[in-house]
Order: sequence, then C-alpha cells, then structure tokens
Amino acid sequence: MSPSTTAAIINDLGALLLFTMLLILAAGQVYRAIYAVAAQSLFIAIAGAVLALATHNADLWLIAAITLVVKAMVLPWVLHRVLQRLNVRREVEPVVPIAVTLVLAVAVVVMAFHLSGSLGAVQQAITGNALPVGIAITLLGVLVMATRKKALTQMVGLFASENGIFFVAIAATQGMPLIIEIGVILDVILAALVMAILVLRVRSTVAADVADLSRLRG
Amino acid sequence: MTPETLLWLLPVVPAVTALAMLAVRDRRILSAIDVTGSATLATLALLLARAVATTGPHALGVFRADDLGLVFLLLLATLTLAVSIYTVGWLREAVASGEMQADSLRYYFALVHGFVATMVVTILADNLGVLWIAMEGTTITSAVLVGFHGHRYGLEAAWKYIIVTTIGISFGLFGTVLIYAAASTHVGAGASAMSWAAVMAVAPQLDPGIVQIGFVFAMVGYGTKAGLAPMHLWLPDAHSQAPTPVSALLSGVLIKCALLGIIRFQTIAAAACGVGLPAQVLMVFGLISIVVATPFILAQHDLKRLLGYHSVEHIGIVALALGFGGPIGTYGALLHVINHGITKALVFFAAGTAIARYGTRDMRVIRGMFAVAPIGATLLMLAALSLAGTPPFSIFISELTVLRAGIGPGHWLAVAIFLTMVVVIFAGILHHVGAMTFGRPSTVASRAPEAWSPLLAMALLAAIMILLGLTIPPTFDTLLRRATEVVLG
Repeated sequence: MSPSTTAAIINDLGALLLFTMLLILAAGQVYRAIYAVAAQSLFIAIAGAVLALATHNADLWLIAAITLVVKAMVLPWVLHRVLQRLNVRREVEPVVPIAVTLVLAVAVVVMAFHLSGSLGAVQQAITGNALPVGIAITLLGVLVMATRKKALTQMVGLFASENGIFFVAIAATQGMPLIIEIGVILDVILAALVMAILVLRVRSTVAADVADLSRLRG
Repeated sequence: MTPETLLWLLPVVPAVTALAMLAVRDRRILSAIDVTGSATLATLALLLARAVATTGPHALGVFRADDLGLVFLLLLATLTLAVSIYTVGWLREAVASGEMQADSLRYYFALVHGFVATMVVTILADNLGVLWIAMEGTTITSAVLVGFHGHRYGLEAAWKYIIVTTIGISFGLFGTVLIYAAASTHVGAGASAMSWAAVMAVAPQLDPGIVQIGFVFAMVGYGTKAGLAPMHLWLPDAHSQAPTPVSALLSGVLIKCALLGIIRFQTIAAAACGVGLPAQVLMVFGLISIVVATPFILAQHDLKRLLGYHSVEHIGIVALALGFGGPIGTYGALLHVINHGITKALVFFAAGTAIARYGTRDMRVIRGMFAVAPIGATLLMLAALSLAGTPPFSIFISELTVLRAGIGPGHWLAVAIFLTMVVVIFAGILHHVGAMTFGRPSTVASRAPEAWSPLLAMALLAAIMILLGLTIPPTFDTLLRRATEVVLG
C-alpha cells in the first residue's frame, strides 16, 4: 500500500470516528450511545489493521486485535450488562439540551483542526488527519461526560475519549510500544470493572444513579 | 544487595505483602504483617538512597532511581511506615465502633499495599508509559479504598474520584503519546523512545510545537491527579471520605507522585522549548489552586474536608515554586513536597483520633480537646501551626524559600497573591484548630485513654517535622540539591 493510499484510508476512518462521536453526542437512549462507542472502537481496530498492512509491523496487528476484542466487544458488553441489571429509565438525561452540545461539538472539531494546522512538522510524524481527529474526539468525550447525568453515559464518554488517544497512538509512526499498549488496556479494563461495581453497589444500597448523588458539597 | 536488585525488590515487597494478607483473617496478624512489610519497604528505600548517593543513578529495564525520584520514594516509605503503625490502634477502635467490618479487613490491607506498590512504580518508572500505567493503577486501587466504608457518601466520593481522575489522566496519556511521537523520530521506535532518560538526551532536538502541546496535555492530566485547581473538584470528597490512614496516603504521597509526573514532563518541555512556557503554565495553575482553596478553608465545618482543601492550596504552592524555577524555586518545591507530606499525614492522623473521640467530623462539635486527650490535642495543635506556616516548623522554611524564589526574578504579582492567601489561611486554620483544642470539652467527647500506636506514629512524624524546621541535615540537603540539578538539567 502506498503512503498516500494509507493516509487516505486513515482520513476516511477519521471521518467515520467523528461521525460515531456525533452519534454518541446525539444519542437519546443509553443503549444507542453504547452501540455507537462500540462501532467507534471497531473503526479504530480497522485503522490499526490498515496501518499494520502498510508498515508490516507485527505489533500493530496484535494491537488491532486487542482493541477489537477489548474495546469493541468486552467493554460494550460490560456496559450493556450493567444497563440491564440497573433496569431503570433508559433515557440519557442531558444536563444541557442535546442541540446545544452538538453546536459546542462543531466548535471543538473546528478548533482541533485549527490547532493541528499550526503544527507543520508534527503532521509528518502522524498519518493523515489523525492528530486533529484524535484531539477532537478526546475533548468531545469530556463534553459527553460533563453534559450527561447518567453514570453509564459518563462511562461511554470516557471510553470515547480514550478512543481518541488510541487513534493518535496507532497513527503515530509505529503505534505505542506493545508492552505499554497492553498495560494501558489492562488499566482500562480494571477501571471499567471498578466503575461498574460502583454503579451497581450504589443502585443496591441507595437506589439511585451514582452520578446523581450530590450530597458532598462545599 | 546491588542497587539493581533493590530496584525490582522495591515494588515487589508491597505487592507480595498484599498477596500474603489475603490469606489471613486475624486482625493482629494482619497488623503485624502490615508493619513488617512497611518497615521492609522503608529499609530498602534507605539502602537504595545510600547506593544512589555513592554511585549515582541506577537503571534496570523500565525502572530508574535518580535523586529526584528518591526524594519522593523516601517520603512514601516514611509515610507508609507511619500509616502502618497508626493503623494498629486506629483499626482496633474502628472495628469496635463498627466503622470497619472485621471480615473484610484483609481486603482493606491488601488494597492499601497494592496501592503502595503502584505508587512505588510511579516513582521509580523511567518509562513514561509505565509511569502512566502505574498512575492509573493508583486510581483504581485507591478508588476502592475511598469507597471502602460502603455508605452513600463514600461511594459518591469514590465515583467522582475514579471518573474525574481517569478522564484527567487520559489527557496525560495523550501528552505521553505526543512526546513519544516526537521522540521516536530521533530515538527510534520501541519502548526505549518512552524512556525519560532517553527522551531527555535528545530533548533539545525535539520539535518544540508538538512538545508544547504534549506538555499542556500532560500538565492537565497529571495536574488532575495532583489536585490542582480547577481540576481539583474530586479531591476534597475523596480525601475526606476515605478511611483516615488512606486519607494520609492520598494527601501525603499520592498527589506528590502525580507532581513527580508533572516534573518529568516539565524537564522535557524546558529542554525542548525553553523554560518559559512550562514555568508560566505551572505558575498559573499554582496561583489558581491557592486562590480557589482559600474561601473553602475559611468557611469549612467538616474537619477532613478542611484538610482536603488545604492540600489543594499546598499543591498549588509547590506548582508555583516549580514555576518560579531556578535553583531556589526548585529546591523550595522539593522541600515543600517533603514538609507538606509529613505534616499533612500527621494532621490527618490527629484529626482521625479527634473524629473517633467525638464521633463527628463537624468542627463546631469538636471542642476542648486538650481536656480529654492532651497528647493528641498537642500534636494536632503543633501540626496545625506547622501547616499554617508558623516558625520554627518545617513548612515555614519551605514557604520562605518559595517566597525568595519568587522575589528574586521579580514575580511581584504572584508573590503578592501568594502572601495574601497564606496570611488569610493562617488566620483561618488557627481559628478552626484553636476552637477545637481549647475551651470546655463538648458533652459527646469520649474520655477513654489515648491509644499508644497512633501516638507513636504521630510522634515519629512530629519529630521529623520539627527537625526539618530547625535544621536540614547535610545528607538530606545534598539529596535535595542533586534532585534540583536533575530538574534543572
């Protein structure tokens, strides 16, 4: 595969990633947001596979496989199980209207591209538009977390945010070192499990959504 | 033992201690293992310090021990030992009062030592990726500890803590990836391009643009974990809801470990694009933290939340000192890391015993402690005086050093804001603590005799606090000077 073809494919995948991010932002139901973040992780695994083909880097194949299994399958499954166990109203309950967050999202994307445009030399080290897309997705994940009340939606925002970083890491010349990538993934799984346990424990002890608790102030 | 052996033994000791504890149920045996494990860790840390002092930095795989890391390692080892001694008596009381369940103690101890093991790795990590992994590891282990009591406040604090610091620290990962992308063109790909020592060697050739963005991301990421405002919102909750020994570790050591992460990135950024940008960013975050914490300290009624906000102020002072920079500012920052760590652990211990005695954390109810617990009240008063920055205690010395570092290059505005806030907080702290210790004891006060092990742990820390206020021992001074050289390059 020629470098320009690779860059074109990565750019297309970047566009798909931004599109799934908008789906997460626009989702009115929690399960839709979960499906969208699973799709996003799938595209990142594909991006890893494409770059593995182009650079003949065996580690990248493994990274793509791990991303596929953990981020596109296991984590969404955990979220889905928690959602079923909670058995509550499934609406997302935004703090600010979804339309407003979408406008904010557009501003964030424009800003990310503008910021990366000012970095000429950096662009050579990272394939295609991965850097602005990664920055945009990371920040938009935070936006989801800040503007949604449900614990599960906040977790979706967190995973989306991490996806942005993984995308940049995969597109940066050779991908993160394999050993580090594995450590990071392990942390992500453990953190997700602890969060899931917290959500379920709060549900069973005080019958409320953990993100709704707000007694600690001042 | 060779220094290389020490390097891998240091994280292994707390990890093995944690595993060993899972097999035990008896409280006394658990406490014995706890103290033994912590004492072993402290001994190994001292051995490593001696080795590095005589033969310079040592590296082993992804680990590296230099003077900078040692400053933090010695703080961690000291506080871990003090916490273990304190826990003996604290736990007896907590089990008796039903605050801790007797059948879940082994999980508690195992988590504490797992938490310590992850902190050891963050301190010894040379590889920035390993640093990140261990830092997220500290979040996972300590989040469970924050919510360990299992009541709604603890769970709320634990959720806020894990969600905010995980998203924050993911910014740190982004920063790491960007620096790695910049370095891999010079060092070559692979884990070695994430090594701090290797990156520092090529830092002047790195692309300044990407390093700048990387530094800002890392600063926000590790700054969240360090509790710098405005990313500090989780801190007062987590530090106040955790069991007291864990609060001491969180406030005394963990936020300092995050600060070490910031220093690692600061040195890279300073070498790649000049000291100006990192210094300014650190100063701004430092000042915001100091200013934001002040009103919450004054208006606080919850004793442990007061201490939490106080940590925000002090981590701000350290960031400000790093921003002032130069040999004096950096030396002052590192000295303040030690002084605040020791003093904050001491005051958390004293607060914990006061809370157990009065059965509440409301400072309006804790009254006349001198009459019911004279030794504990004295220690609380001493620690509060030090925390407020009174001479001759240690924090006075480091705050004075920080002030000098600010006046030298003429950062007048920053110095003015810093001084005003420190004076206001001085008054606030003395008002709060004065009311708690003097006067007639409130009726809820228990008059039980004071337990020996918490007093022993507090006396140990108080001795260090007073010693460092009166004089800085020559060996320790040499260590701080060498660490300052590591930061300044």
